[in-house]
Amino acid sequence: MKNFQIIRALSSASAVTSISKESSAKFIAGGTNLVDLMKKNVVAPDKLVDITALDLKKIEFLNGKVSIGALAKNSQVAEDTSIKEKHPLLALALAAGASQQIRHMATVGGNMLQKTRCSYFYNTDMPCNKRAPKSGCGAIGGSNRMHAIFGASESCIAVHPSDMCVALAALDATVLVEGPKGKRQIKFSDFHRLPGNTPEKDNTLLDKELITSVEIPDNNFTKNVHYLKVRDRSSYAFALVSVAAALDIQNNTIVNARLAMGGVAHKPWRLTESEDFLKGKTISETTFKEAANLAMKGAKSYGDNDFKLTLAPNAIVEALTIASSK
Amino acid sequence: MASKKTNENKAANEDANSRRDFIKKSGLFTALALAPPSLVMASEKKWDEKIAEYLETVPLSIEVNGKKHNLNIEPRTTLLDLLREQLQLTGTKKGCDHGQCGACTVHVNGTRILSCLTLATMQQNAQVTTIEGLSKGKKLHPMQEAFIKNDGFQCGYCTPGQIISGIACIKEGHANSREEIREYMSGNICRCGAYHNIVDAITEVKEGGKEI
Amino acid sequence: MSKTSNINRVDGFAKVTGTATYSAEYKTPGVVYACLVGSTIAKGKIKAIDTKKAEWAPGVLAVITHLNVDKPVGYQKAKDKHNFGQPLQIFKDDSILYYDQPIALVIADTFERMQYAKSLIKAEYIKEEHSTELKKAADKEKKVETDKGNDYHRGEHDGYKNAEVVFEAEYTIPTEVHNPMELANIIAKWEGNKPILYTKSQGVEGTRRSVGEVFGIPPADVEVTSEYLGGAFGMGLHTWPYEIAALIGAKKLNRPVKLVLHREQMFTNVGFRPYTIQKMGLGATKAGKLTGLTHEAVAMTSSYEDFMEGTVNMSRFIYDCSNVSTRYRIVPLDTCTPIWMRGPGEATGSFALESAMDEMAYKLNLDPIEFRKINYAEKDLEQNKPWSSKYLLECYEGGMERIGWKNRKNEPGSVKEGNWLVGYGMGTGTFGCYRSATAVKAKFLPDGNLVLQCSVNDMGPGTATMMTAIGAEITGLPAENVIIEMGKSGLPKGPTQGGSATTSSVGSAVHDSCNLLVSKVIGLAAENPVFKGIPITDLTFGNGVISSTKDSSKTVSLATLMSANKPENFEVENQSKANDEAKKYSIYSFSVHFVKVLVNPNLGKIRLAHVVSCADIGTVINQKTSAGQMYGGAVGGIGMGLMEALEIDHRFGRPINNNFADYHVPVNADIEKQEVFFVNKKDPVSNPMGTKGLGETALVGMAPAIANAVFNATGKRVRDLPITLDKIIETVKV
Repeated sequence: MKNFQIIRALSSASAVTSISKESSAKFIAGGTNLVDLMKKNVVAPDKLVDITALDLKKIEFLNGKVSIGALAKNSQVAEDTSIKEKHPLLALALAAGASQQIRHMATVGGNMLQKTRCSYFYNTDMPCNKRAPKSGCGAIGGSNRMHAIFGASESCIAVHPSDMCVALAALDATVLVEGPKGKRQIKFSDFHRLPGNTPEKDNTLLDKELITSVEIPDNNFTKNVHYLKVRDRSSYAFALVSVAAALDIQNNTIVNARLAMGGVAHKPWRLTESEDFLKGKTISETTFKEAANLAMKGAKSYGDNDFKLTLAPNAIVEALTIASSK
Repeated sequence: MASKKTNENKAANEDANSRRDFIKKSGLFTALALAPPSLVMASEKKWDEKIAEYLETVPLSIEVNGKKHNLNIEPRTTLLDLLREQLQLTGTKKGCDHGQCGACTVHVNGTRILSCLTLATMQQNAQVTTIEGLSKGKKLHPMQEAFIKNDGFQCGYCTPGQIISGIACIKEGHANSREEIREYMSGNICRCGAYHNIVDAITEVKEGGKEI
Repeated sequence: MSKTSNINRVDGFAKVTGTATYSAEYKTPGVVYACLVGSTIAKGKIKAIDTKKAEWAPGVLAVITHLNVDKPVGYQKAKDKHNFGQPLQIFKDDSILYYDQPIALVIADTFERMQYAKSLIKAEYIKEEHSTELKKAADKEKKVETDKGNDYHRGEHDGYKNAEVVFEAEYTIPTEVHNPMELANIIAKWEGNKPILYTKSQGVEGTRRSVGEVFGIPPADVEVTSEYLGGAFGMGLHTWPYEIAALIGAKKLNRPVKLVLHREQMFTNVGFRPYTIQKMGLGATKAGKLTGLTHEAVAMTSSYEDFMEGTVNMSRFIYDCSNVSTRYRIVPLDTCTPIWMRGPGEATGSFALESAMDEMAYKLNLDPIEFRKINYAEKDLEQNKPWSSKYLLECYEGGMERIGWKNRKNEPGSVKEGNWLVGYGMGTGTFGCYRSATAVKAKFLPDGNLVLQCSVNDMGPGTATMMTAIGAEITGLPAENVIIEMGKSGLPKGPTQGGSATTSSVGSAVHDSCNLLVSKVIGLAAENPVFKGIPITDLTFGNGVISSTKDSSKTVSLATLMSANKPENFEVENQSKANDEAKKYSIYSFSVHFVKVLVNPNLGKIRLAHVVSCADIGTVINQKTSAGQMYGGAVGGIGMGLMEALEIDHRFGRPINNNFADYHVPVNADIEKQEVFFVNKKDPVSNPMGTKGLGETALVGMAPAIANAVFNATGKRVRDLPITLDKIIETVKV
């Protein structure tokens, strides 16, 4: 790791100001992903702006929504009594991620910004359009067991590795950011992006913008929810496929439904067509299977990840079944 | 090496120049800096490389196992390397250096974290507890006793991390069943495969009800 | 049960307090930090290497490459021969034989500066076409005429083909990597022409020989300390290039050099269990009597060294079968050399054999245990010798009862618990009992403590605890009064830790030396006036006192005796080795792993609901540490069965999952319920204690047990390890 300068910001504004002066500067909070990437020389900032002193750690229940500070720790949110009660899907997704030690360090904002786990991205000897634009995609034609089946491009088939973001996508969250040009809000579904020809861009955050909080509007998804994570071992592994399922069930009828998947695309993959299909239906295995089938439209695999074409719909059915039986 | 440094060498000069640039740029920021103001002076007065290198360090005040340390460290120094290489506290282990094994787990302000992914400079005034800080002389912590009694290890290399993590697992309230312990201890890999006995040890401490 | 049969691990206090010192942790004044830079191609030559930026980086003390290295004198000598223990001669020339082969050593004054300087080294290469894929390199297959490499035939060649019922299948295991938690590491320094190493070695004496050969100095001049090892599982059986590199660096700078491999380098530079393709042919009568068995294996090795292991050996003797053929071939590939990994050979072989036995049992419609009992070998037909002892049937019975085998149905997929498919499976393991010449010094200190010295290591199995238990048992001292000194050169010569032979070798030596010491002490005591007229055979020694068995009032304390005699009268150094009687027998440990799996076929999720590991290992010296080793071996086998595989992108010849996030090993949540059962019956000939060895057989047989259980649960037979979810997932029915 090359040496760098580190400064501690005392306000969001000063954080943004100080980062704007150095082209390769980065914000640092939990560090669980950034320090890892710096050790691998995948990123090499000259300057870090330590934002951990900012007052962005609170979880506040406001009128019609909850606001989660960008610096709230993953474990703090996962174990918050009110979050567990009002947004259990989010708590479940967070608890499925990484290990408890990492959840104690990682922040909500950092989780959203974490980089793909694609091996070609991590190994600087390998081609990777995301790390080194125009160097090619190693995963296409290479080892791609972890990779995308939706929304990929010829430039990149990497997936976003977060669990938390899958739940936030399902829960229609909004991301609040602050940048050199002021504050703005980004719909969660617009926050992460598909790779297209510019896979180096993971999200729609503008240069030097800082995530300050995430807001989730109130909902009725307090009981029939499930976060299903399918992985190669029982814990402490990234998802091959994950499903966030939230149902509002009244008298055995689905009044409202939310579905999103992880491990299948460059961004948390929201299944709106399946959601719409589920609305108004009574609970049955057939209904769930049809919803899963709808979700698979346009899926494409790349060899090692062919099994995801089977696993993904099965996982949707499984998640809906578990959610509906709670 | 010293003699080589008198040679004209483009690459090396570039390198040295970029370092001076770095020092100069350091004077530009406006937010509260952790870097010492003397960096600016060093660059203005064109001090010797050696001094400049020294000035690339930042002060750190940190408490480890109840002992205060006032140090100068490079910002890139991780808490793990600080503990092992500078403070000679080698009880905390390096197993992967990338947050993938849990061997480096320590308590920072009472919370279990991975010291390999923690920049030491970001732990100003933190209280760190490592495996060396658990026992009082020959008097072992209940978790240490339980690991010995239940044979919760073989080679011993992941053990400090397991013990530190196990204590936190109970304190966090995540040791209410063997299943819960297994899940919340999954961030600590044991290649000898002592998991069965590790869960026994944690269960015994939890059920023993001793203060930990 | 004796009082020492369940003592706590004697190094437990050191290990739970963080005071156990592993190699790179020795406080060494003036130590500097080194790392290795690896090649980015798999085969070719280094065209140019730019080290200037690194050399000029702050704190850098040296950058060593093939261009500026002072080559050790042994490099010349070993030019044309396979130099066991030091096959790849680091920095010897510009040739690249595998990806991540070290091309430079960077040494700096701090860890951080060393790491940064490493990133500044840039090399250019002349690439050559590489070959890293076993399945596409069959044309390079070769037979090596050695004990391991020779074909074996008993009865008719490939006689299975003529049987009433014939079964054939191919099985593969991927490359698996040892990955002990402690990284490979060393602190190297020189005093004059004598190297001093603190290193991760499973054999202090072997390291001395290898280092001595490389640097052209007598092994006796090489000082090696390897007291605590954070696991090794076989990777510490070589002296690796990184160790030689550290010594080269230390010599150049005349300073102590610390070199710790990165986890990624643990996958590329210190060996692995080789990718192996196996073909099985089984023939049986309709009643289930095996009439023919053929086992063929093709395994990878490196381009520069023939690595072989006993992959097909178990098939020659474990079942009663008159026509047996085995063939073993190796294929050189452009990788680092493999090295024995826990259960070497047998773990690989048992996956094929025990899977095939299960498949044949289904074909014959027999219970898999029944099939094995029909073919139980009453003697070793390979060596044509009687077993020294064999309690394999007791292992079957013990496991069946504990796992609830009676709940198993032969029809796959016919047992359910809720939505989970339930399957039961088992796999047999075995490993030879070896014993090598070992010296141990036993001595009493004036304070009454017993000191036992041997240069053997303890990489985790509990060797020190075993030595303590045996020493305490024979001298009648409490275990707390036994002091173990081990893992250092200069101590009486012990064996390399490996091959499940440590207790047999070192335990026997402790046994013999302690008995000799007791006899010596009794001999001295007999001259004491107190025992006048009492025959020496009536004197006994226990817990620091010599007394008469006939008249317990007559005693002399060891302390009294020691105050009147020279200290050297209270020490014995003796070398023990196997006796000729043992050669008349075939001596093996046996194990049987039983598993109950729960499978969700929609998600491919396999849960190990219950694992029972049974073993006949002769006498169990220490129930606690032995159980720990058995639990651990089983977990290793679970990793092999369910998740471990080094993936290579053959386009580049590079691994793509060489880290602990992507190369999965079992975590705590993977291990639900585990039990261990030992027959614990003394072997009459193996050694004075009657032990047979545990470390390897603890793993052997687990992977096929899982595969067999998964088949029983799902009807899906997985012949390519690991059994990942994609191999058993069912298509959703819409």
